[in-house]
Amino acid sequence: MAPIGSIVELTAGSDALVRARQRAALLPDLLVEARRVVATVIAGWHGRRRRGAGENFWQFRPFVEGESVARIDWRRSARDDHVYLRDREWEAAQTVWLWADPSPSMLYQSTAASVSKESRALVLVLALADILSRSGERIGYPGVLEPISARNAAERIAAALMTNRPAGGLPPDERLKRFSEVVLVSDFLDPLDDILARIAALSRRGIRGHLVAIADPAEESFPYSGRTEFQDPETGQRLTAGRAETMREEYRRLYAARRATLGEHCRRIGWSFVEHRTDRLASEALVAVHARLSGTPQAQVKRA
Amino acid sequence: MIGSLSFGAPLVLLGLVTLPAIWWLLKLTPPRPQTEAFPPLRILLEAMRPEETPARSPWWLTLLRLLLAALVILALAAPTLNPNAAILSGTGPLALIVDNGWASGRDWEARRDAAESLVRDAGAAGRPVSLAFTAEGASDDAAPVEAAAALDRIAAARPRPIPVDRTAAAARVRTALDGSSDIGIAYLSDGLDSTGANEALASLSALQPSEAAILRPPLAGTIGLAGADNSTEALVIKAVRPDGTAAETTDLKALDAQGREVGRTALAFAAGATSAEARFAIPVELRNDIARIELDGASTAAAVRLVDDSFRRRRVGLVSGEAADLAQPLLSPLYYITRALEPFADLVRADSADLGVAIPDLVKQRPSVIVLADIGVVPAAAETALRDFVEKGGMLVRFAGPRLAASTGEDPLVPVRLRSGERQLGGAMSWSEPQKIAPMAASSPFAGIAVPADITVSRQLLAEPSADLAARTWASLTDGTPLVTAEAVGAGTIVLFHVTAEATWSNLPISGAFVNMLRRIVTLSRSSGAGGGQTAADSLPPYRVLDGEGRLTTPGAEVEPLTVKAGAAPAVTLKNPPGLYGTEEGYSALNLLGPDAVLAPLPTPDFGVAASERGYGRSGETELTPWLYAAALGLFALDALALLWLNGAFSRIAARLRGRPRATAALLLALALAPSLIGDTGPARAQTNPPADMPTSDVPAAPPAALDPEAAIRATETTHLAYVETGVGTTDDIARQGLDGLSQYIAAKTALEPGAPVGVDIATDELAFYPILYWPVDPAAPMPSDAAISRVDAYMKQGGTVLFDLADGNLADLGGAGVSPGERRLRDILGDLDIPPLEPVPSDHVLTKAFYIMKDFPGRHTGSELWVESLGRDPDAANRPARAGDGVSSIMITSNDFASAWAVDRNGMFLYPTDNADPSQREYAYRAGVNIVMYVLTGNYKADQVHVPALLERLGQ
Repeated sequence: MAPIGSIVELTAGSDALVRARQRAALLPDLLVEARRVVATVIAGWHGRRRRGAGENFWQFRPFVEGESVARIDWRRSARDDHVYLRDREWEAAQTVWLWADPSPSMLYQSTAASVSKESRALVLVLALADILSRSGERIGYPGVLEPISARNAAERIAAALMTNRPAGGLPPDERLKRFSEVVLVSDFLDPLDDILARIAALSRRGIRGHLVAIADPAEESFPYSGRTEFQDPETGQRLTAGRAETMREEYRRLYAARRATLGEHCRRIGWSFVEHRTDRLASEALVAVHARLSGTPQAQVKRA
Repeated sequence: MIGSLSFGAPLVLLGLVTLPAIWWLLKLTPPRPQTEAFPPLRILLEAMRPEETPARSPWWLTLLRLLLAALVILALAAPTLNPNAAILSGTGPLALIVDNGWASGRDWEARRDAAESLVRDAGAAGRPVSLAFTAEGASDDAAPVEAAAALDRIAAARPRPIPVDRTAAAARVRTALDGSSDIGIAYLSDGLDSTGANEALASLSALQPSEAAILRPPLAGTIGLAGADNSTEALVIKAVRPDGTAAETTDLKALDAQGREVGRTALAFAAGATSAEARFAIPVELRNDIARIELDGASTAAAVRLVDDSFRRRRVGLVSGEAADLAQPLLSPLYYITRALEPFADLVRADSADLGVAIPDLVKQRPSVIVLADIGVVPAAAETALRDFVEKGGMLVRFAGPRLAASTGEDPLVPVRLRSGERQLGGAMSWSEPQKIAPMAASSPFAGIAVPADITVSRQLLAEPSADLAARTWASLTDGTPLVTAEAVGAGTIVLFHVTAEATWSNLPISGAFVNMLRRIVTLSRSSGAGGGQTAADSLPPYRVLDGEGRLTTPGAEVEPLTVKAGAAPAVTLKNPPGLYGTEEGYSALNLLGPDAVLAPLPTPDFGVAASERGYGRSGETELTPWLYAAALGLFALDALALLWLNGAFSRIAARLRGRPRATAALLLALALAPSLIGDTGPARAQTNPPADMPTSDVPAAPPAALDPEAAIRATETTHLAYVETGVGTTDDIARQGLDGLSQYIAAKTALEPGAPVGVDIATDELAFYPILYWPVDPAAPMPSDAAISRVDAYMKQGGTVLFDLADGNLADLGGAGVSPGERRLRDILGDLDIPPLEPVPSDHVLTKAFYIMKDFPGRHTGSELWVESLGRDPDAANRPARAGDGVSSIMITSNDFASAWAVDRNGMFLYPTDNADPSQREYAYRAGVNIVMYVLTGNYKADQVHVPALLERLGQ
């Protein structure tokens, strides 16, 4: 009898990029909600509805003594006796760090799923990168790509991943600055305390995060039965169950509890938590993350 | 009933000692688990409760496997239940009489095994063996010999296809063992009675044997074919069997000379009946092909019936001069002929009154005999046909009558010169008496036909006297005038009855002699044109003989020619075994059983001592090995099922069935459809399976038929641009995408809205549906077969156009020296095509004006000209704005790679860059495509269009 799950090959960056493009083409440009924009002067395309450094006209206002004479708009000033300044709308970019879990457990794919978790995570990350870069955000990938503001950020990530694919574990976070956003796509199967500790540390530094928990349908429903030897692809640990079906209820309960704990923790620190299964469409997760990034959280549809 | 048990290999039973070791091993090894990768193992570890894993196999599984091992060991030891004891136990010489007649062919192996085992036993006991075979001739020596010599003789003996001669065999044994004492007689019989069998066997009691045994085979299935009668409706086979207790049904096969089965019918013996009939209701034409009739699985000479030429039913064509033949049947000559011949032959009547038509038609039906009843003059066509028919071996039988009497001139189709007018005997104005018919001469083919004395002839046609008249006369009247004359013409014979075929001239037609004469003639017609009659005794060389198992073989040296005497069926002997005698051209069959043959079981013989009766083979013995193996196999299956159950396969399947009833239905459906799907795995064809983006692609792929009407309708509903599938995926993709782009462009710019482009396989698909074939010449693609190229040639000749695209951009000169691989491939393809002279498109060619005004035809590259069929130079070409031949150029060649320039993806984006970054090149490439398609579709219409202003002007508008 063929096994239900298998460990598959790594997904090629270019392949994932093509699929990510297709998903990203379905979504409107993403304007990251700029509640906490870094105050640094990094020009972006977000109109901040206030004056500041930017290209677009915002308002004329009377010249106040002490301001730089160079900023006087002479054309406007010539029309009457006052001297005017031309203000521009402040435009700024948000830094968004994207990260897909590269650990071996992500390579798992069961017969019910069309792709492995790693492949789906990569597609989500690249699609997000594509959408975000379209909106002019600065995209970074911890350990792989410093934040850049470029239209082709998705290609750059894909190209960088081709040569430099990080090892497993949560990403290095020393480069993450305050007010930036981080999107973590993973199966979050590491020990729960480790994950919570890392998340809490990030959150304490003022970073806003979005967790996308990818799961294979077999991991959620546990369709195994009979005498089965389970093997952890990460640690190589083995476990033989005499009648696997007897463990199903208990496993499902623990799995749901773990998810609930993680979600609850995220909610408490103001992060968002999106669950996604690889037998669903990638665009579903993409829409959910998109909604959270753009600050209009939708009611999450609870799947049966 | 368990009598005794013996083991063929008792030492193997020691293997049972290993059972405890096996038990110990089995007990330790639990069933192998299914291995699954599972990332959330940590969660599972928490869910794990400590027990669960049975470290050992369940006790019943161990027991099952131990039983399995024990069964295999027992089976290897070859146990036998109730082993046979020795048959004879005396000390004196052993008289071993073996029936090796035809009935032993079925079970000769068993008989030989029995004989060998008897001789071995005798050899072990030191008894000499006197061996006699009942179907061997006098050369068979029954003198007592050592067992080894007897074994050699048994090994060399074969079943003979002849009846047994037990009297001679018993005599040989008596002579050989005369004076010996304590004789043991073993008779290995075939179970069938024969003449004198009982007396012959009883005569052995004179030897005063001390013990006797007779072995009989079971008689069920011993069937002999005693006769084959080819009657009008059916071929009737008569079969006999010795044992009439149970109903029995077997199959009879009729085979032709090459061994192909012509017909098959059931032969059913009713319970209690010893004979049965089977009928082959197959048409005469097929019946005539039959060369042998045999029981299905025949293995004796009696189960085979050979058939020779005399068996075939002749076909006789009847032509009459009477106009309304059927109004008064008793006055119609054909009536008597029909009545006489119907039981023996198939009659074919002329179906037209016009003899010039009817007779050639009749000859075409290939009759053996054509009967012309009172026909005087035949038309020339009919005469030619008849003469041809006769010279090729046919037999022409003519009857006299008023018409023939009136036209006796130089009729070429009569055997003798006839005097004009008929002779009347015994009328009112005549002194003479009606003549009687003389007895048939011995040399006549009618020899042996008794002529009743009351047959008289009152009128006849007379022959001119000539020297050879007597030789040509088959029958004559008492006064010596001929009644029937015949002459060999070519390979055939013309026979003339000097009287009519009805009773006006004589009462011969209403006598039995008439029937016999006609039948003899029909029979003669087989050996068509052999001329003279059958000699009294004929000696036929053996051609093929049957062997003891019913197979036709070439005759051995001991087979002698068969002497056939008229009236007596030749006897089947060792020198004349059943078979075919004669030559390949003509032979007669000698069959084992006569029509009145009867098979009966052999009565119990009286040897003077009590004879033990038994069957052949190891009857009573039971080999236990197969049963033990079967039981082990069953246990093995149980073990497999148990393992599956332990591994949870059943609960998994059940869960799947519960969870996904629709999937199950789909699975069942798939299983049900599997054979049809498997039968339909031919490569998808263009016209049966359109590309995925074709609008009509929701129609499922039809099975590839020669010409599927639906596919044809689909292909012709709209105009499709078509490309040749080269078999190289990328090339085909580019061609399809290119034509897709061109189709979109054409739909946008012109009134033509082509359907989705279609890839065609030139070897199989119908090409005529497509106005143009785009053929990307790819040197990497396999060379199309000659048949495919000739189909393309036909397509081009029927008005299709093929656009060859070398796609390498440097087709400078078709005759140039430097040849690219693509050009070489193009040359190979064109080498088999009928190609007119070519030229680059001249500036006034209609291609340059078909839709857009164009100077050249760029594609992705611009380097190449577009080559088309060369047009004849018109003297006043300068005056014409456009030139075109009467047709469309059937071939265009370019290497500009049109398809890449046209190719668009699904979203309408261009796929390949042009050589020049200037977007106008792509635009011009599309225009070139439009012009080509328009030119192909409209032909020279566009050329005529440019004349319209001049025409209108001429019309005075």
